[in-house]
Amino acid sequence: MASAEQTGETMQRPADMKSTTPAIGWRGRALDRAPFLVACLMLALIVGIYGSLQSGVFTLDELNLDTAAAMTLMLAATGQTIVLLRGGIDLSIGGMISLGTVIAATRFTDDPSTTALWALAILALGFVIGALNGLLISLLKLQPFLVTLATWSILNGVAMIILPTDGGSVPSWWVGFASTQLFGLTSPVWMLLVLLLFWWWFRATRVGISIQATGSNEKSAFLSGVSITRVNLVTYGLSGLFAAGAALFLVTQTGAGSPTIGKDYILPSVAAAVIGGVSLFGGRGHLAGTLIGAFVLTLIGNLVFVLHVSSYWQPVASGVILLLSVLASSVAEKAARGRVQ
Amino acid sequence: MDLVTVTGLSKRYGGIVALSDATFSARAGEVHALLGENGAGKSTFIQILSGAVQHDGGSILVDGQDYRPVNPDAAQARGIAAVFQELSLVPDLSVEQNIWFRHEPRTWLGTVNRAEMRRKTLALLEKYNFPALRPDQELRRLTLAERQIVEIAKGLAKDPRILILDEATSALPAREAEWLLKLTRQLAAEGRLVIFISHRMAEVRAIADRLTIFRNGATVAAHEANAVSDTEIVTQMIGRHLDRLYPERVATATDRVALRVEGLSSGSRLSGVDFALREGEVLGVGGLQGHGQRELFQALFGASRASGAVKLWGKPVSINNPRQALTGRDGIALVPEDRRGQGLLLTKSVRENLTLSVIRRFTENGLLSRQKEAALVKEMVDFLRIKAGTPEQLAGTLSGGNQQKVIFGKMLLTQARVLLLYDPTRGVDVGTKGEIFQLMRDLAAKGYAILFHSSDMPELVHVADRVMVMRDGRVAATLEGDRISEAGILRAAMLEREAA
Repeated sequence: MASAEQTGETMQRPADMKSTTPAIGWRGRALDRAPFLVACLMLALIVGIYGSLQSGVFTLDELNLDTAAAMTLMLAATGQTIVLLRGGIDLSIGGMISLGTVIAATRFTDDPSTTALWALAILALGFVIGALNGLLISLLKLQPFLVTLATWSILNGVAMIILPTDGGSVPSWWVGFASTQLFGLTSPVWMLLVLLLFWWWFRATRVGISIQATGSNEKSAFLSGVSITRVNLVTYGLSGLFAAGAALFLVTQTGAGSPTIGKDYILPSVAAAVIGGVSLFGGRGHLAGTLIGAFVLTLIGNLVFVLHVSSYWQPVASGVILLLSVLASSVAEKAARGRVQ
Repeated sequence: MDLVTVTGLSKRYGGIVALSDATFSARAGEVHALLGENGAGKSTFIQILSGAVQHDGGSILVDGQDYRPVNPDAAQARGIAAVFQELSLVPDLSVEQNIWFRHEPRTWLGTVNRAEMRRKTLALLEKYNFPALRPDQELRRLTLAERQIVEIAKGLAKDPRILILDEATSALPAREAEWLLKLTRQLAAEGRLVIFISHRMAEVRAIADRLTIFRNGATVAAHEANAVSDTEIVTQMIGRHLDRLYPERVATATDRVALRVEGLSSGSRLSGVDFALREGEVLGVGGLQGHGQRELFQALFGASRASGAVKLWGKPVSINNPRQALTGRDGIALVPEDRRGQGLLLTKSVRENLTLSVIRRFTENGLLSRQKEAALVKEMVDFLRIKAGTPEQLAGTLSGGNQQKVIFGKMLLTQARVLLLYDPTRGVDVGTKGEIFQLMRDLAAKGYAILFHSSDMPELVHVADRVMVMRDGRVAATLEGDRISEAGILRAAMLEREAA
């Protein structure tokens, strides 16, 4: 039985009660970011080789061009990064991108207000379909892989029904958007900056932290009061929204709709994130890495082109780079763990 | 007036009754201890209070108003915070992000105000004299004890009126545990209610004003802490059990040592375990949950990194390889904790489950002999009385008891004579339980050596020849003969201090 004196006495902090974990130090921090640093190194290497083979690589024009080439993937991969951070995966973005392009190609008119309304409708549709994915995953307790595989197929089918073959068109002023310049930088470069700004904001919001926490340990997050259903809704909703955004940007590059084009972005969106150091097991990763990963995958294409080899080497090279990144992060992970224990 | 009043609370999980009739009342400004054996319903009770699960029947009043939280958030809104034993912390967030998770101070942009969060963290740690913590360190880098401290800080960050501490001292070293006990008194002195769960009687004695005892999902008694003796508490925790379930125990142990273990250690959970298991003996492994029993079995099966010496039938064996490699008569076989996950392939037939790991025994010239296999399977099904329509029935469609028998059969077919049984009757119906105990005694009589852990104390008392009681990763006592009793086990696990 505790006495009153006991409670009244001032509590002494045990003096030698020190944190037993060592300070992290720069090596620990570097190991922590190893996958990201490896991605930066790869990008530098690729740009270096590319620059030595081709003149005019280190110019603003080249930056504008490459960013435009990479932007569709970047948008898709941004959504994918959020999903991966949550510990899930979203295959349905392939269907959403296809559907987005065919709706744009069949509905956009020369009248700006009609086109703007349809563009907004596509974005809204992306969010709603994504949110439905999240809801299905939560309520039916199904694997994200299976749910989004199913919705991908459904969306793909709908895209085919709307526009069976590549075609349709979007107004020329919509196509011109990608080459609009401000202070020497084209709109895709500005979008890249906006994406980074969005990420800086998003990751510091309660919603962003909750998504990361749920990906890190779902049970802990739940016990802390996170609604897993709501997290899934927002996570997959955002993924769908970014996929729709990717579709709207893609039609500025192609000028037409395609009911099959979306599949080209499913696995690369995951690959870009993984190359950039985003963990497939959730909880860890940053958009900056993903965007660098997207640049790496895009520039490989350029490199294959200037090397005058068959374009079939591009996927081979992408695969090798993906393997290298996964290897690098697994080595770093083991090293970091060795330091902790 | 009581701050919390609980009457007739009940909760079922499928067919299992976790809580049948819990009654509880506690006042603001007191430390109220919850006591009970493993599985008595304490955990379910606090999970309900903290909103992690919802109750089926009964009522809870907080401040005289009905209380039925739908999730942990709703519980927090009513001023109830829990410091869980399974930590509710997120590995990839920093210490301070974890402490303020979902209650972060924010800027006008909706982003976390880091400076403010740091200030609040330091103020909180200072106010309650927390042991040193680095606010910016990622949680996954911390030791278990440090995580427990963060969990406590997280609970306090919500400034709760009711704080639930679920075995919060069990992961802490002595000094930090002492700090927590003082903190608990301080919180009560501030007018909060602290609901304190601990298996350490000394701690309960040191800080509790009142205590409530649970048994088999119901409240048995509530006492003023200074008006009840340790013996009374232990008696009420155990209650009376019917022991018809258990077979007659005939000593069959020989002098031959089947398994000798010396200085077995693994991480912080197992430190220097010595024992000898003899041929024909059932050696029970008891003690309160989480004192190294699981780690002992894992280390013996080679499933975790461990150090020390292990001898099987007099021959030293390497202790860091899974013992699946050690089949045959000198081998070792395990009935794992997670039956459905590790022991059985639910989508395979009874036959396949039985013979998968012993395929070598019925191959001839590299080809499977179906006749030999069928004979072995039939022998096992008959011997164990496995109730399956045909040997081709899928394991997943059997009852829990019959699934467990299939695992026993699988284990026996390896011909190993040292058997590790980790909670073999968990989730098994009473009838089959009796059969399993009989089987264990029969096997012992045939010369098998059996190491047997059960989370249910009476099983150890009535089936084992000797009971090794573990506390803090060591063997606290080995009970033999008349000294084997539930009270004896509990006393060794909770009360008796080793000579320091």
